[in-house]
Amino acid sequence: MRLKTSLLKEPKHKELVSCVGWTTADELYSCSDDHHIMKWNLLTSETTQVVKLPDDIYPLDLHWFPKTVGGKKQSQAESFVLTSSDGKFHLISKIGRVEKSVEAHCGAVLAGRWNYEGTALVTVGEDGQIKIWSKSGMLRSTLAQQGTPVYSVAWGPDSEKILYTSGKQLIIKPLQPNAKVLQWKAHDGIILKLDWNSVNDLILSAGEDCKYKVWDSYGRLLYSSQPHDYPITSIAWAPDGELFAVGSFHTLRLCDKTGWSYALEKPSTGSIFNIAWSVDGTQIAGACGNGHVIFAHIVEQRWEWKNFEITLTKRRTMEVRNVVNDAVDLLEFRDRVIKASLNYGHLVVSTSLQCYVFSTKNWNTPLIFDLKEGTVSLILQAERHFLLIDGGGIYLYSYEGRLISSPKFPGMRTDILNAQTVSLSNDTLAIKDKADEKVIYLFEVLSGKPLGDGKPLTHKTDITEIALDQKGLTNERKIAFIDKNRDLYITSVKRFGKEQKVIKIGTMVHTLAWNDTSNILCGLQDTRFTVWYYPNTVYVDKDLLPKTLYEKDASEFSKNPQILCFMGNQVTIRRADGSLIHLNISPYPAILHEYVSGSKWEDAVRLCRFVKDQTMWACLAAMAVSNKDMTTAEIAYASIGDIDKVQYINSIKELPSKESRMAHILLFSGNIQDAEMLLLQAGLFYRAIQVNINLYNWDRALELAVKHKTHVDTVLGYRQKFLEDFGKKETNNRFLQYAEGLEVDWDKIKAKIEMEISKERERAAATPAVRTSVTVQR
Amino acid sequence: MAKDILGDANLHFDELNKLRILDPEVAQQTTELKEECKAFVDKIAEFQKIVGSLIELVDQLAKAAENEKMKAIGARNLLKSIAKQREAQQQQLQALITEKKMQLERYRVEYETLCKIEADQNEFIDQFIFQK
Repeated sequence: MRLKTSLLKEPKHKELVSCVGWTTADELYSCSDDHHIMKWNLLTSETTQVVKLPDDIYPLDLHWFPKTVGGKKQSQAESFVLTSSDGKFHLISKIGRVEKSVEAHCGAVLAGRWNYEGTALVTVGEDGQIKIWSKSGMLRSTLAQQGTPVYSVAWGPDSEKILYTSGKQLIIKPLQPNAKVLQWKAHDGIILKLDWNSVNDLILSAGEDCKYKVWDSYGRLLYSSQPHDYPITSIAWAPDGELFAVGSFHTLRLCDKTGWSYALEKPSTGSIFNIAWSVDGTQIAGACGNGHVIFAHIVEQRWEWKNFEITLTKRRTMEVRNVVNDAVDLLEFRDRVIKASLNYGHLVVSTSLQCYVFSTKNWNTPLIFDLKEGTVSLILQAERHFLLIDGGGIYLYSYEGRLISSPKFPGMRTDILNAQTVSLSNDTLAIKDKADEKVIYLFEVLSGKPLGDGKPLTHKTDITEIALDQKGLTNERKIAFIDKNRDLYITSVKRFGKEQKVIKIGTMVHTLAWNDTSNILCGLQDTRFTVWYYPNTVYVDKDLLPKTLYEKDASEFSKNPQILCFMGNQVTIRRADGSLIHLNISPYPAILHEYVSGSKWEDAVRLCRFVKDQTMWACLAAMAVSNKDMTTAEIAYASIGDIDKVQYINSIKELPSKESRMAHILLFSGNIQDAEMLLLQAGLFYRAIQVNINLYNWDRALELAVKHKTHVDTVLGYRQKFLEDFGKKETNNRFLQYAEGLEVDWDKIKAKIEMEISKERERAAATPAVRTSVTVQR
Repeated sequence: MAKDILGDANLHFDELNKLRILDPEVAQQTTELKEECKAFVDKIAEFQKIVGSLIELVDQLAKAAENEKMKAIGARNLLKSIAKQREAQQQQLQALITEKKMQLERYRVEYETLCKIEADQNEFIDQFIFQK
């Protein structure tokens, strides 16, 4: 990825340009010390003077009024705020009329920023004050006051916090009074510029110590650049938060959100005092010290999938290269390419007006449909369909270009969704809410309606990243997510009334990814790279989970690596310095997944025998139990030496009826309640009671016995035996109460049990069980 | 005697016997002096002319010298600034080189991991064939 810059031969402004701002993707306003406001139209390459300000106004900062106001979209910004060195800020309309001038600060007003909703304006000045103004320019409050000038200010993503500079320090101050103020020393020199992105919640700062730094919103340092030759005079996030631009003397840099730099340009611009990204995030404009305005757009973005390599060579041209046969195709678009995504055999490209869907099989005839609104901020793909997010909503399309659905939830803000907060699979869409970070909304893809009972999934702490598995049955859809404490949880997406289990399977997980072809999960856990070959194990046999893992030391990947994709048996990781690392994992688990999904158990066993790997056997054991194939489970457990489990499986096989076998399989995976319920439904009360007795769940056993009026003596008998064995006295009131009127006669009890079992056997014989779900071979 | 009387009255006769107030000798001397003076003035005028042209010449020379001097200073400054420019350019190029080097390093790391994968896969294939 690099920047392609363009600079006019002669500067249009006579003095230094102090600030720039985009109205649409192709129109820019620039203000200069020569008091002129210029309008740059990139489509016609025309530059016109909008207005000449009075001679005493030296502009310092410009910010356009945000486009989205109260959910209503305006096609373009209508007015902007201009701060000037005479201590005033001016509200100026698009045609250049000064609507209002407000005396704001003593000394120059150094920066002014609208919040995201456009309901408030913050200005900071040389007098060290931070003032909040209403939309019409009435003073609401003086938020803070300090002894040093405030050079830059930014709103937090929810417009409830303000970040500003104080000499070498950065301060985050919530608007609510008495709320905790976060303050930290960020640079060794005075901080000149800062920016806070609403999508990824990260903070940028640049200072006179010639460095730029990336912080998270808790003030933790994520990246610090090498010192440059000159102070960094400007820094700005791209709207989608994936990139940022840095400006300095004769320097323009394009960086990844993790801080490493994609490209460096050395144009003759003087210092770049201000950088603004266009709304679609494809272009930047810089205000140069020598009167120029520099424009740059991003080219040479690359996408890779299997044997295809796609490069955006020009604004409207892509080059597709098939690595296998070196065939090159050129894709031409009518408008500028804004976003693209290549996965599952399809390339989806959004331009400012249209969406193109290419199949990797045929690059010549794309499917084209018009977009409702121009700027697509995110494209996500699943095997069967893809998702487009723009400022107005979330849209699911099939690869045939048909709109499938458009899910919505109350308070939805689509402009801040990114790949970490949205996950798509063939049947489910998961979205993490920004208003309440603990909540994940789940939608059915086909209908666009909330899944199940419509209640979102709620976790106990804030969630940072979510991911849906891609393969398998809809009923077994799982979602993995990382919370604020960096714990990795997994849970089932489908819920059947009862409380779903959210199970923790990892700690200190920075990043995760599901495999595209089988339900294998990989993640970076602290300093280890971990692959969960069969995460479903936690629902089957939790003890088995550690045996189904593959772990590898990941300390060589340095700090904060990110998993980019997990395709086939190859994992791609991006290190903090930007270099890509490819890792190979064993191909066998994927093959095993395939066999199991096709119920080819003999083949699966044969594969495991061939590979001779404990991990594979453990996976097979879990898969077999999950699919209730006890024969395979027995073989697999025997191979990993879990003799106790083999014995239990054998005992299950000897059970007379189908229901009790099913119940014991459920018991085997720890679903006691389900097992009991199943037995009760089948009318096997004795079994249900016995299950509870075996689990020393005395109260429940007695309750069942009393409720169904059988085997009360059995329960009491076992209880007595238990108490005798441990030399204890009966203290439970209920047992004392029932023991009074009953004599425990072991012969009678045994006879009764015998009778129950023979009765069960008879019943099983009478109704020839359809043994499809439980294959028990004798 | 009459002569003396005349002489006493400061009256003289010249050769043409005209009455004169001034002694003819003195008169002659005066005339001579006058002529001499004229000659002297002429000479001085000439001298002045010569000196004037000289001064003009020198002035011209001075101007030319001054010009050359300015030119020299300009050239020297230019030289100095070019050195600075070169330095700046060098610095810029150096920055670009560093950037490329970093990119190269990234590619190197990626290449290494890809090589490792290739080796892994080859090993896997060998093992597979061997076991079959």
